[in-house]
Amino acid sequence: MLSLDVFRARAFRLALAFLLAVSAATAAAFGLIYLEVSRADVQRSAAVLVDEAAKSEDDSEDGLRRALELRLTRDIRRLDYVALFDAKGAKLFGDVPAMPAIPVDGQAHVVPEQLLPDASRSEPAIFVARRRGDGGVVVFGRSLREAYDLQETVLRALAIALAPTILLILAIGAFFASRASKRFERIHGAIVSIMNGEIHSRLPVANDWDDVDKVARAVNLMLDEIERLLDQLKNVGDNIAHDLRTPLMVARAKIDRALEEDAGIASLRAAMQGALAQIDKASVTIAAILRVSAVETGARQKRFKDFDLGAVCAEVVEFYQPLAESKFVEMTIEAAQPIPVRGDEDLMREAISNLVDNAVKFTPEGGRVRVEAAMVEGLPWVAVADTGCGVPSQDKEKIFRRFFRGERSGGNGLGLSIAQTIADLHGFQLTVEDNSPGARFVMRGSMKASLVPAQAAE
Amino acid sequence: MSISSLEDPKSLTARRAQPLEGDPVLVVEDEPDLAEEIRLELEANGHPVRLAATAAEGLAAARAGWAAVFVFDRMLQGDDGLSVIEILRGEGVATPVLVISALSSVDERIHGLKAGGDDYLVKPFDVRELTARVEALLRRRGDARATWLRAGDIEMDLVERKVRCAGRAVDLLPREFKLLEYFMRRPGQIVTRSMLLEDVWNFKFMAQTNVVDVQIGNLRRKLDSTGTRKFIVNVRAVGFKLNVEP
Repeated sequence: MLSLDVFRARAFRLALAFLLAVSAATAAAFGLIYLEVSRADVQRSAAVLVDEAAKSEDDSEDGLRRALELRLTRDIRRLDYVALFDAKGAKLFGDVPAMPAIPVDGQAHVVPEQLLPDASRSEPAIFVARRRGDGGVVVFGRSLREAYDLQETVLRALAIALAPTILLILAIGAFFASRASKRFERIHGAIVSIMNGEIHSRLPVANDWDDVDKVARAVNLMLDEIERLLDQLKNVGDNIAHDLRTPLMVARAKIDRALEEDAGIASLRAAMQGALAQIDKASVTIAAILRVSAVETGARQKRFKDFDLGAVCAEVVEFYQPLAESKFVEMTIEAAQPIPVRGDEDLMREAISNLVDNAVKFTPEGGRVRVEAAMVEGLPWVAVADTGCGVPSQDKEKIFRRFFRGERSGGNGLGLSIAQTIADLHGFQLTVEDNSPGARFVMRGSMKASLVPAQAAE
Repeated sequence: MSISSLEDPKSLTARRAQPLEGDPVLVVEDEPDLAEEIRLELEANGHPVRLAATAAEGLAAARAGWAAVFVFDRMLQGDDGLSVIEILRGEGVATPVLVISALSSVDERIHGLKAGGDDYLVKPFDVRELTARVEALLRRRGDARATWLRAGDIEMDLVERKVRCAGRAVDLLPREFKLLEYFMRRPGQIVTRSMLLEDVWNFKFMAQTNVVDVQIGNLRRKLDSTGTRKFIVNVRAVGFKLNVEP
């Protein structure tokens, strides 16, 4: 199965395409040489023959005969065929059996089949026939065998050169294809095992940073994130179960006891009210969970608009002022300049109100809550500081997690988590610092936040 | 007293012999238990109710023109209640519609209102919240351009931003004025906490602490210090009402 895969692999197909290209280029090169070789050779021979024929036009018959015999015995200019015919076409002398079938015009002509002087076989040859002053015809010819042999040599060289190239490329292609397919096989195996529930497995990474490697690394990062979310989800699931089960169990116990006791309508009413309060508590938790999910579903960035974060802070402070007053907590706001932010104004109001809500809730009587909003280094910045009991340093990360309840918490542990989710959505960072005494929640825009409008504009 | 002597909800409604005189409500909801709860609560507030369980039934009942307000679930056994509302609006039916939905995102809310819904309530909700919103829809046609409001003993000058209660001037902070104005425009009508959060303070979510109650408490003390009567009364845990009865 693997061997079949090798031929189907991308690397192998690439090798085949490469092979085709190399073969075509090599064949073209050899083809050119082949044509050039024969053409040059034939042309040179033709020129010699024409020249010889022209020179012998006016020689006397005897002189010519001597010259030709000399040629035949000591062939300096490599004349293979020499013959002289009289005006009637009868051969006077020479080694050509009969007048070749060419026009008598002093020009070179190729004769594909010329019988050799010993009449053993035929060869291609080139001939020139020229009429002499006395009416006779002188014929010079030359065998083209060498030229044709050269052409064959070129063809053979092409075959010899091409065959190993083809084999080599095929081998290289098969090697890389099998390597790639083995790698994909391993990746596939890893994916299958992850799908089968081994969420801790990761795709093999080859450390050579090629395309496949980059994808594998990205997938591994994605898997890390998914695993983290799964863990979180599991914790949240446990916490939700706990948060919902407790009030429901209490409610159930109250109703159960009231039914058992049969203690009159007043006690029954009290039990029902108690149960109702517990059920309300459970629904508040459900509403808060749904809220986090609703914020997290994203896709809201397309609704982002420009608004003044300072004004939003002022509104939230105004809203919470009566609550602060009723607790004798002094609440102040400092938001001098407009703070232009692009985002979801309703969500930002919710995030800041959760922070202010927390601050007021955890600040004892006579304490202070201070809200500040400003542009710091060109980025929006909001701080909500209280003089409550503060956040222990070991909890500084945890308090933003869903359902985390620190020592100071009395709520359902979702307010900060909602604020965090909203901050994330806007590319803001939400952190907590010591206010000694108390805590200071700081939300600052990042460079990423300034990219948000660009995304929203898409 | 034993549990068997507690009346079941059906006999509770049966006990009310007088005919229901409120505005009739059509409820299109496919969860029978929830539909029944809604019906009981609306009937307890004097509204005759008709129930429909499918989009087709709801459309037919709405076209009959009986109801003064529609309550539509968005998801009706695979059908989208919004498409029914769109059909009705296309036919020129202007009856106010309250959309109820399990889809809580702001986008879904906007989608619901764009389709022709007048208000959007997210499941799970308190049936009393639903009733208050249905009544708010029925009474929505007030004159927004009024410059002077009166409800019972309270008078409000919207131009001068002055309030008089039982003849005496009441000094209100701007946020208290805004809150009282909301009640003055809805005299005798139940106003829920979430309605106040949404409409007065623009909070499209439930505030965690009972800030609304503190705000109402402040306003109430300012009004009550001029007399003995409670002008703003609590209504069954869901909200408040501006009392106009003497």
